[in-house]
Amino acid sequence: MLELDSVDVAYGSIQALRSVSLRVSAGELVTLIGANGAGKTTTIRSISGLLRPTAGSIRFEGHPIHRVPPEAIVARGIVQVPEGRRIFPELTVEENLRVGAYLVRDRARVAQGFERVYTLFPRLRERRRQLGSTLSGGEQQMLAVGRALMAGPRLLLLDEPSLGLAPLLVEEVARVVTELKRSGITILLVEQNARLALTLADRGYVLETGRIVLSDTSDRLLANPEVQRSYLGSSRAGR
Amino acid sequence: MGGLARGRRPLLVLALVVLLLAIPWLLPQRYFLRVVDLGLVYAVLALGLQLLVGSAGQLSLGHAAFYGTGAYTSAILARKLGVPVEAAFLAGAVVAALLALTLVPVLRLRGNELAVATLGFGVIVHAVILNEEWLTEGPFGMMKIPPFRLGLLVFDTEFRFYYLGLAVTAATYLAFRRLTRSRFGRALEAIRQSEEAAVTSGINPVRYKSKVFVIAAFTAGLAGGLFAHLNRYLNPNDFTLTESINILVMVVVGGLRSLEGAIVGAMIIIFASEYLRAFKEYRLILFGALLVVFMALGAEGLRGLPAKLAAAARRPAPEPSDG
Repeated sequence: MLELDSVDVAYGSIQALRSVSLRVSAGELVTLIGANGAGKTTTIRSISGLLRPTAGSIRFEGHPIHRVPPEAIVARGIVQVPEGRRIFPELTVEENLRVGAYLVRDRARVAQGFERVYTLFPRLRERRRQLGSTLSGGEQQMLAVGRALMAGPRLLLLDEPSLGLAPLLVEEVARVVTELKRSGITILLVEQNARLALTLADRGYVLETGRIVLSDTSDRLLANPEVQRSYLGSSRAGR
Repeated sequence: MGGLARGRRPLLVLALVVLLLAIPWLLPQRYFLRVVDLGLVYAVLALGLQLLVGSAGQLSLGHAAFYGTGAYTSAILARKLGVPVEAAFLAGAVVAALLALTLVPVLRLRGNELAVATLGFGVIVHAVILNEEWLTEGPFGMMKIPPFRLGLLVFDTEFRFYYLGLAVTAATYLAFRRLTRSRFGRALEAIRQSEEAAVTSGINPVRYKSKVFVIAAFTAGLAGGLFAHLNRYLNPNDFTLTESINILVMVVVGGLRSLEGAIVGAMIIIFASEYLRAFKEYRLILFGALLVVFMALGAEGLRGLPAKLAAAARRPAPEPSDG
């Protein structure tokens, strides 16, 4: 479904990604793990069109998309949930979701989208008239995911959904990601919390200073002593 | 608005409309009406800039250029070429909008860069008006501009012009109100609050900013046409950087993003300008000070003042949250 082939991304003279290749097949949940600054967010942003690769190609369902502007990439069915819960603070929950459905012109589909999001996140239904800024951190994360779902994505790019959340809310994120996968959405999950990510995902890639250094099924990555030492230290599990 | 009982709102709106229609009869002094008429011209101008600065978050320091373009286009067509005034008036707005279209590439610039670019644009347009004497009569200004007419109606007195100004202001206000509450308005809000989140929702910010820029220029062109046929005389110095800043002050005083505020802000500044004429240069200092004070008060301008005072009376100001 999604294929990155030898993608390079540079910020000015700083090379952020070097020859990154990865694939996500339809229906899969794939995770990209790595330390802070390894290039995880850069990878996500180059897929969603916010960054342009300096070399290599990105294909979605066989068509190259690395030169397609970001709003057109959304139209093709790839939707990113930005890192840091970038919701619209001065719009209500309902308006935030409506913006997510910006490209959906069919009213019945918008109504279905609302129903789907409110079923997945009953808290958002309760708070639909409240401004985004009045929500708690966890609720804002739900809203960011809900907003992405309103666009009817076939591939969801999740950027650090558990970042800064309390352990109880991290469990909630896990529940949501699992449920999304079950509903048939293909997911690329970027996470610093490697244990969480690998528990949820089918396969994983490990990114180190802009390069993919490992790729395997989640079970084997979890069992890999190197991964355990670098990314699964027990002190990290709570993050 | 929110505190009013639902059933009483239509009555209040009706009372306001009756009051607005009755003003020339209640206060028929010519000088007063002239200032009100001018206030209406600037209300239209400020509404356009409100959409650009308030809703789209784009700072323009060259709005007088579009105002001047509309004024001179309408005046030249009507006076020199004998085009019917109502057609010349619309042509002025269209030319201002076309001029804005040429600036669309500049809209890829952000924040300060755009402000500087529009500032430069304003200087260029002023220079053209000042120097192309064959077209604009240059520094002496253009005289004997015909009054506005619509079929058999001639708006050649302060009294008559008031209704024309009121109609254009009301139409602009209602159109913008509708626009800001539509899908278009929601997209603008989204872009202003988080451009990246808007993009990842499928919104193209440059396209929206361009549309709003052109709409604001068209509106300024309408205001320019109104001014040309109200004043019946145009001078290049009516369309300088000072003028662009005046319009910005109106928007800020009225409160960013408030359409009603833009109208009220325009009236306050025009009345202050006219009735403080005795203070001449000090007016500019006063306006400068107003701008600083209102920026310090925050984006809500006058609209937010009652709530701010109430909050200040209750407790010390809360820590601003970094949303």
